Parts: sequence; C-alpha cells; structure tokens
Amino acid sequence: MQYKFWLRLLFPAVVLLGIYPACKKVGLDEAEVAGHTAEYAFPLMSTTLNMQDLMFQVLNDTLSGDTIVVNPDNTMTLFYSGDVAEKPASDIFTFFDFPPNAPPIPIPDTIYEYPLTVPDSVTIRRADVLTGELTVIIINSLSEPIHGFFSIPQMSKNGEVFKWPFTVAADTNIFSPVLHLDGHTLLSDSNTLQFRYEAYLPDGTRIKLPEPFPGFPGVGLRLQNFTLSYVEGYWGYSEYPLTRDTIDIDINQTSLKGNIKVKDPKVTMVVSNSWGFPTRGVVKYLSFLGKDGTEYKLESTVFNNDSIDFAYPSWAAGEVGQTKYTKVVLDGTNSNIAEIFNAQPVRLIYEVAGISNAKRDPTITGFLTDKSTIALSMNVELVLEGSAQDFGAEQTLNLNFGDYSDIDTAKIEEVEFKLVTENGTPISAALQLYFQDENGMAIDSLFRDEPQFIMDAALTDANGNTTGSKRTETFVTMDIDRFDRVRRAKQIFLQTYFTTANGGMVPVKLLATQNATVKLGLKVKTKIF
Amino acid sequence: MACSTGLQAQQELMLHQQSQLWHASATNPAFFPADKKFFIGLPSFGLDAAHSGDVTYNDLLRKDGDRTILDLGKAIDKLEPQNEVFYDQRFELLSIGARLPGDIYLQAGFATRLNATVDYPKSLAELFWYGNAPYIGQTLNAGFSANTFDWHELSFGLAHRFGKVLTFGGRAKFLSGISMLVTDENHNAVSVYTDPDIYQLTLNSDYGFHSSRTISAIDTSGLGFDLVRNQLKNGFSSNNGWAFDLGAQLKVGQKLTLDVSVLDLGGSISWKKNTNYFRSQGTFEYNGVEIPGSDIINGTTDSLDFTAALDSLNDVLQFEKSAAEFTTKLPTRIYLGATFQLTERWAVGAVLHHQKSERRSATSVGVNAQWAPVKWISLGAMYSVNDQSAANLGFSLILKPGPVQLFVLSDNALNALTPYGSSAVNFRFGGAVVF
Repeated sequence: MQYKFWLRLLFPAVVLLGIYPACKKVGLDEAEVAGHTAEYAFPLMSTTLNMQDLMFQVLNDTLSGDTIVVNPDNTMTLFYSGDVAEKPASDIFTFFDFPPNAPPIPIPDTIYEYPLTVPDSVTIRRADVLTGELTVIIINSLSEPIHGFFSIPQMSKNGEVFKWPFTVAADTNIFSPVLHLDGHTLLSDSNTLQFRYEAYLPDGTRIKLPEPFPGFPGVGLRLQNFTLSYVEGYWGYSEYPLTRDTIDIDINQTSLKGNIKVKDPKVTMVVSNSWGFPTRGVVKYLSFLGKDGTEYKLESTVFNNDSIDFAYPSWAAGEVGQTKYTKVVLDGTNSNIAEIFNAQPVRLIYEVAGISNAKRDPTITGFLTDKSTIALSMNVELVLEGSAQDFGAEQTLNLNFGDYSDIDTAKIEEVEFKLVTENGTPISAALQLYFQDENGMAIDSLFRDEPQFIMDAALTDANGNTTGSKRTETFVTMDIDRFDRVRRAKQIFLQTYFTTANGGMVPVKLLATQNATVKLGLKVKTKIF
Repeated sequence: MACSTGLQAQQELMLHQQSQLWHASATNPAFFPADKKFFIGLPSFGLDAAHSGDVTYNDLLRKDGDRTILDLGKAIDKLEPQNEVFYDQRFELLSIGARLPGDIYLQAGFATRLNATVDYPKSLAELFWYGNAPYIGQTLNAGFSANTFDWHELSFGLAHRFGKVLTFGGRAKFLSGISMLVTDENHNAVSVYTDPDIYQLTLNSDYGFHSSRTISAIDTSGLGFDLVRNQLKNGFSSNNGWAFDLGAQLKVGQKLTLDVSVLDLGGSISWKKNTNYFRSQGTFEYNGVEIPGSDIINGTTDSLDFTAALDSLNDVLQFEKSAAEFTTKLPTRIYLGATFQLTERWAVGAVLHHQKSERRSATSVGVNAQWAPVKWISLGAMYSVNDQSAANLGFSLILKPGPVQLFVLSDNALNALTPYGSSAVNFRFGGAVVF
C-alpha cells in the first residue's frame, strides 16, 4: 500500500514533466537572428545643375567684368570685357594752367598781353569760367595817393567787362578783395589774355606805376582755383594715348582640357565720345595670346590702316554736351577671329591711341566741356554655341560618409551604387572618380579602368537645339573590401570629360533653361551568418 | 489532422467539462466539487495560443546549443497575405472556496491574465527579413494591428444551490490593468514604397495606437528606432475596471447535468494612468540629400556629406504623443454544457463555447467522454469543431490522490505535446486541495 501511495503522488509529477517542453519559457529578447541575406535600397543624394548657373560659375568665377546675357531665345552670350578706358578731356588737354601757390603774375605795363597755356595745335576762341578767384596787388611807392581801375577787356559777364576800381594812399600797398570770376566768358583769338589798368594822380595825371624795386612791377595779380566749363576753338592734328588693356578669356583658362570650338566669336569695341572735335582711333596693338604665349594678330577689314574715326558731337550742328557712340564689331565676316578661337586663346591685348583732327581740316570748330570724356571698351562676345570633345574638368571635393563610416561591414556582403542622370543638355559626360585619403593619396576609384560615360547628351535637332532629356543609369558594384576602403575616403578627385552631342562633331546650343539632374542611390546587401 | 489550419483558439472546453475540479469554476461560477466543503486552489497555468495558417514555433525559432535562433525564412513562405496571432494566458495564483450552511458557496481568487491579438501582413515580415530592395517598385503594406493587454484579477463569488438540482452562481472581478497596447482600428495603415529611380522611399502613414506602460516614447534619435518602455509601474488600482461572471448548473434526474455560464460580462478596464496615444500621419518622402545645384556650382558646398541622410531617414515616422485615456473591453465568453453519467466509471458530454469581442468572434463545440478506471484517476477525451478546423482531439488527465486535485488537459492534445511543431497550442494544468 505504501508503494501505491507514493506511486499516486509520483504519477502527476511524471506527467507534468512530460509536458514541460510545452511550458518552457523562451526568451525572444535573447534570440539571435538566423543567418540570411537581406538587401536594403535607399537614395543617397540628388542635385540639379542648371546650365545658366554652370556657365556663370565655370566661365565667370574669377574675373570681374565678365557677363553672361541670356538672350530672348534662351541662348546665352558670354561677354568678356576689358576695363572701360575713360579719358576726361583734362587728362589730355590742359588749358590756362594757374597752379596753386604759384607766384603772382606781374603786370609790367598798363596793357599787358598774357600768354595763355593751351595744348599744342589748339587755338582758343572762347572759354567759359567755371570757377576762379582773382586778387589784384597794387604797390604805390609814390608820395601821393593814386586812384584808377583794373580790367580784363576780353572777359565779361552779362555784357559787362570785368573791371575793378581802386584807390591807394601814398607809399602804400593794397590787395584787392578776392574777385570771383565764375560765369565770366573769355574771348580770344590768339591764345592770349589782355590785362589792363589805369592809374591817376590826384591832379588827374595818368601814370604807369613805378617799380618799387628794379624789375618788380607795381601791379600784379594772383589767379587761383581757375577752371573752365567750356572751351571752344580750333583743334589741329595731335596724337595722344587712349588706352592699353588686357582681357582674359577664362573659358580657355580653366583647368578644362580637350578641344572646344566656339561658333561665331566676336570682338566688339565701343567708343563713347563727347569730345567736340574729330578724333581718330589708331589700333596700335590688337592680338590674342595662346596658352603657350603664341601671338595671334587680330586682323580685320573694318580698320583702315589700323585706324577708325570715332563719331563726335559737332559744334556746327549744335551738339555741345552730347555723346556719340562708335561700335566696331570684328567677327568671322570681317576678321580672322574664328580661326584664332579655334586655337583657344587665353588673352586679348589691345592698345588704342587717338589723333585729333587727323584730316587737318582748318575749318572745323571744336569744343570741350568740363564733362567731356572719351571712353573705349572692348568686349569679347561668345554665343555659347559650339562643340566640344573630351573637354575635361578636374575638381576635388571633401567627402564625408557620416554614419556609413561606422557601419559594421562584417554584416555587409556588397553594395551597389546606382547613378542616374537625366540630361537636358547637349553635353555628355564621362567620369572617373578617385577616392583619396586625407593626404590626397588615391585609395580606390569608382570605375576600374577608364572613365565611363555616365551622362548621355540629349538629342539635338539640325539647329543644335536639344529635343528632350536623356536618362542614363550606371551601376557600380563594390564588394565589401572595396566599400570598406571607399567609405573611409576623406575627399574625392573628380575628373569629368565633356563631349557635345554627336561626338562633338556639330555645334550645339547651350540654353539657359537646360539642366541636368544627377542622382545617386545605394543598395546594401547584408549577410548574417 | 491535429493542427488547425486557421486561427481558432480553443477556449478551455475540456476544463469546462471537468466540473468536479475546483479550477473548473473558472468557466462557471456555479461549479463546485460535490460533497466538499473547503477548497484551496493552488497555482494553475493555462495557455491558449495560435497563429493563423500552419506557421509553427519551429518555423520561427530553433535551438542551436544554448542559443535560440530566430529564422523567419521558413515561416514567410507559409504566411498568408494577412495573418493573425492570438495569445491568451491565465495564471491563477491562489483561490479559495467554502461551502456554508444553507448550500451557499463562497469563493475568492487572484489571477493574472493576458489577452493578445495581433494581425499583421506578410509583407511586414518580408520587409523585416529581406529588406526593401527585393520589392522595389511595389507598395508594401507594413501596418499591423494589435490588441494586447494584461491585468490582475481579484474575484469574489457567491453561489447557492436550490434544492438538490439547481445551482446559481455569480462572481465579481476587480480588474487592475498592468499594461496595454492597442492599435487604433481607424488608423492602422502604413505602407512603404521604394521608387525604382534611385530608391526614393515613400512612407504613407495613418497609424495610431494607445499604450499604457508598454511604450512611453518612441526615440528616433541617432540611428535607432527605439521603443522606450515605461519605467513606471501601474499600481494595483491605477487602471481598473470590473467584470462579472454568471452561471447555472441544473441536474436533470440522476445522470444528466446541464450548465450555462457567461464570463467576463461587461468586462472592461479603464486606462487612465501612464496612458498615451501615439499618432503618425502623413506621407513622408525621403529622397536622400538634396544638394542645390547652385551650391555645387558656386562652391557653397564643397563636400558630399551623407551624415544628414541617415538622420533624416530616421525621423520619417514622426510619432506624436499625447496623453489620452482609453478603455479596453474583455471578450465575453459563453459556455453551454451537458454531461451524462453513463456508468460509475463512464460519462459523456457536450459543450458549446462562444466568444465575442470587438475584433473577433468564434464558436466551437465539442463532445467528450470521461473514464475513471480507478477512483483517483480520470482520463478524458474530446472531439471538437471550431470555425477553422473540424479535427481537434482533446485529452485530460485528472489525479485526485486524497484531498489533492492535479490535472493537465488540453483541447488539442497533440499540439500540447508538440507545441513547437504546432500552429496552435492549448493546455491547462494546476492543482488544488479540497476537503
């Protein structure tokens, strides 16, 4: 019975033990994931490169004065401009030079013809005073007082001749108050100005003031701050320098390599002239320089013996104060510029001089105002239409894979980059990309061998216009060893080679509205074993 | 075929037919062992779990020495487009009962219960296991719904036998919620689309869930998507409610016994403490780092930096948290049973069970036979049919050495013995001392 009792108690224990597996708790938190492969795909980056922005930057990034103009048909014209050489008349022509702090002008006689300072070949007929401060000095060494007046008969204001009366006590020196000459007009036909005085003793006797010291006249004058607002007269033949400048053609100065042809390049010279007499521009030097320093002389049928007459405002036609413009365009129809540009010149150097009244016409009356200038600007004008073959660019970018650098690559089998381009430009691009460490040492490259085309050019019509967008997909697979190296790269060295549509054989148009989108995605195949 | 092919949890049909067991009163408050006056229920554990289809534990997990390996490869092939997991666990720690003069029975008990239902699409498992790359160009449904909560249950019951044939019983249960996670039925859509272009991700989200204690925050900082579990424990009476059981047993003649019960009637838990609502709504597109072309061209950007990429990828779901009270309802269960005592050693019976909740409704019926070869051993078998399977074979073993009652039983015996190879498992075991 005792045995049966223990058996009765033990039996349930045996049964419960049998169902233990059904009740045993399994900790899912401690479960390990079984070996398998999974693949995750996600986007990395995208960017859209606008042709207008690109051209602005590539062609316009270093030099000031360069301008890209978007034309109404969305073509773009690139202007490289030299400095505007602006010559005020006063830089070339100096009239009536009364320097400050100069000694007084002695008046040795009661009538004195003072020679005016004027440029060679110029004869003044009229001058309008803008500013001027005149001081008359009278030294009376006599023992009795005198009286009289000082005048400039050729100078008048509102019809009244300039005149200053004076009275001087015996044995006395006086300085007149400062006499302002603004608004007066001078008339002369011999480049001289007459100064005159009349002095009388108390008994009415006209006298010439005696010299207080030998050789030192008793009358003098000081003229300061003297400027003219208008000069009129005759300008004879005279040559003078206008400008010498250099224009950098930085489309050919980038680190880009390869062959590029620009369709219809132009050089434009614009002269704005408010000098009121004939001026002839003489091209002293006009040449392009190649990368290797070779000089390419720009020759054109536009010039007559390297000269061209600038338009000018005519005194006879009442054009005082006006500005006249002269535009000279040198293009493929009248010059050898197209041939020169095939050699990818990097610089234009030009020097222009001026000749007044080159025809030596004695009948011409000319003029200058205080605002008269002559300005010359030179532009190189390139419509962005052309062709390129393997036109290369190199660029180094910093690279940061961020948290991808910390991924446990032991769980990664391989990665696959997907590079997608959607190209609306007529330019295709081949690419090679070198991953570099912080010292710039290459540790791997995107493609194993040569650069690969990653962007096909959009199709173009017969006029070189794109007719749509072209999508190109490029897949780059890396095993984990390569990816492990690449993700630690600190910078990338980018080599890009551009070729226009149809293998760069026909000119295409680059439009401001064209763009190219570049996108990058990544697939990561993981392995867990 | 012992395994069900669809999801159908067996609701303790076999336990209900063992009315002589003290623990059978869990299925009908009118059940009390005959001719006993004092009852002490020892710990009893019951589990009722199932996965739709024929996905088994072994399809998901396997042992490799001391390691437990999670392997979804096999399971995914067996999944249906939409799948359901059901898990119902009951742990009765202690219960007591007494027969008072006048055929009045009192009872009290303490239990911890868990009820969980999870519906999930096959594509969610595929996305988790295989990644999104194999499904480029497809919209994957990643939304799942869950209704899971556990609670303490403190019960007090009273029964009265009228004459010798009819017993009425009732039980009030104070429910104290432990934790809860219930997805919003009206907002449970999440889809992921991977664009064939460069794998841009589009995530459409209209998803919300209520949580108490389970999740207190969703941390998307760094590279993780961490569910921050609430460190605050809900006190016994912080989130609470009531449920009621009613039952009756009628002896018809000497051999036939009929019974009916309604359990968890009006049962609900009102979650007020540590309770939040999380909501993610909108379309989130991730296109990678978008670098303005002008920045590259102008040199404003002189580097390619992918750091921000993963950070922003992390934040796509953007759950917003707000405090919100919530009420969970317990499934109401109904038992209808009959037992006929053929001989002193043999009895046969039938039982019908119906369960109704907000999300699922299920009915099962079974017929059973009970054999007591000796006085202290009782063996039983049951054949039952439910909504998904017409072939479930149950088994019971009851030992009653002296005042001790020990039992182990299952509505699906083969599954209970090989739970790792079954898509559904149901068993209950425990003990009691009755005097």
